[in-house]
Amino acid sequence: MILQVQGLAKRFGGLRALDGVDLAVEPGEFRAIIGPNGAGKSTFFNVMTGLLPADSGRVRFEGRDVTGSTPHLLARMGVGRTFQITSIFHDLTALENVQVSLLAHARQAWSLWPKARALHAARAKELLALVGLESSISRTAGVLSHGDQKRLELAIALAGEPRLLLLDEPTAGMAAQERIESITLVHRLARELGLSCVFTEHDMAVVFAVATRITVMHQGKVLAEGTPAEVRARPEVQQVYLGAGAT
Amino acid sequence: MSGAARWPLAGGIALLALPLALSDFWLFIAIEVLAFALYAVSFNVLLGYGGMLSFGHAAFFGVGGYAAALLVKNVGLSAGLAFALLPLVAMAAAAAFAAVIGFFSVRRSGIYFAMLTFAFQMLLYTVALKATGLTGGDDGMTGLKPPGVLAKPFAYYYFALALVAPALYVLFRLVSSPFGYTLRALRANARRVQYIGVDVRAHQLAAFVITGAFAGLAGGLFALSSGNVFPGWLNWTASATPIVMAVLGGVHTFLGPALGAAVYVVLEVWISGKTEYWPLAMGIIILVLVLLMPEGLTGLARRRTA
Repeated sequence: MILQVQGLAKRFGGLRALDGVDLAVEPGEFRAIIGPNGAGKSTFFNVMTGLLPADSGRVRFEGRDVTGSTPHLLARMGVGRTFQITSIFHDLTALENVQVSLLAHARQAWSLWPKARALHAARAKELLALVGLESSISRTAGVLSHGDQKRLELAIALAGEPRLLLLDEPTAGMAAQERIESITLVHRLARELGLSCVFTEHDMAVVFAVATRITVMHQGKVLAEGTPAEVRARPEVQQVYLGAGAT
Repeated sequence: MSGAARWPLAGGIALLALPLALSDFWLFIAIEVLAFALYAVSFNVLLGYGGMLSFGHAAFFGVGGYAAALLVKNVGLSAGLAFALLPLVAMAAAAAFAAVIGFFSVRRSGIYFAMLTFAFQMLLYTVALKATGLTGGDDGMTGLKPPGVLAKPFAYYYFALALVAPALYVLFRLVSSPFGYTLRALRANARRVQYIGVDVRAHQLAAFVITGAFAGLAGGLFALSSGNVFPGWLNWTASATPIVMAVLGGVHTFLGPALGAAVYVVLEVWISGKTEYWPLAMGIIILVLVLLMPEGLTGLARRRTA
């Protein structure tokens, strides 16, 4: 088990954003978490990755209890993440974006004297090529298109050589065709690099294109879990999600 | 020789030759420019690179100044030894204060960070004002001077240059280093930096302490050239000085704030000799300059050459 979550709970005032969520992810899985807006998917990610403290429950990564670990420690252990609202370094070049991540991964963020410009530049270019940004290496990240920024964020996350990648709506804000291309890229890279992935997604076409298993959340709880075919067949899933506003 | 290598060389020669061209009075001003250039650049490593707007950077300039004054007047070492230790003591004292103030301040960001640094600085201001036995209170500490030949302006100028130039080089290497790259990334997006595995607070604290130490060195240097230290060095208005210098010179270039410091100091001397309403005139001139050149003097130069 690469990721095991037991009874994770988080309240915001009177709202039970997470109400005892269980999740178990095997190595090599490409797990989708779906659910209507407000189901608690983003909160789940934020609590799992230490951005918000859990009220109760446990999170284990590769068997190790990481509940309440800070984001930077989780990252060092091998958990990478991307955000719903793309999180990159806007006024650095694409190359520098990835270099900074490689420097952190190599524990060189505290290196005070060497010139950083050439450090890990070759590896950074490789990673940028891997996500299809080889022609944008020296461009400022902030001027890249939305889709390219998402790809850049993926390269930043991959630079940390994670074994588990958590992607919060990796296709948010993209056109339908771009969504499929984008998730296929992530899927292919995860296969090649041997990563496990957990991602949240609204677009059912995207989910059914790549997910090995699907977890359905609703009102802070896990409503159903199974293979795409199993989940599609569940009547309660169709009722709360697939039937209403499936896109 | 490449263009990039030519500029520092030309600048270095000009700085070395400066005492030949300046009167003693203007040499004193040049020393002040050197000290404030270091002060403003150290401040801007926090602001321009790290995105941390400290409203209490004067605390470290002031602590460096008082540390230098106490070392020279009160410790009872021989004048030569006290003076030799001055750079180290000014930096260490400022770094120690920066470690404590930074420890609490980096827990918040943006305006809250600014307010915390501001509050700590006002605390130190009050101490400097009230601890009369140690600091001389409102009267400050006066009659400070370097020993022997160093009391001559040209000698002290070279002494200051011999400290400020390497200090600026160290800061330049710092911002070009992996530490500096990470600092720039922090300005752009602190959360992302957490998620690539960097302890953001520790990184910010380190930047705060290092830049505080260099501000302390600047304060120590200036104390001995101006001959005195006053509580006003620690007042909140003093923290606006490096902000204005950095913005005037340009926060997006490493040496922009140094240029800003030179322009600010020289303008101040020039205008205060012309009118007793010089703060008003300074204010108007700075207002116009900043409005005309939103990226500062160096931003203007970059646009011209681009």
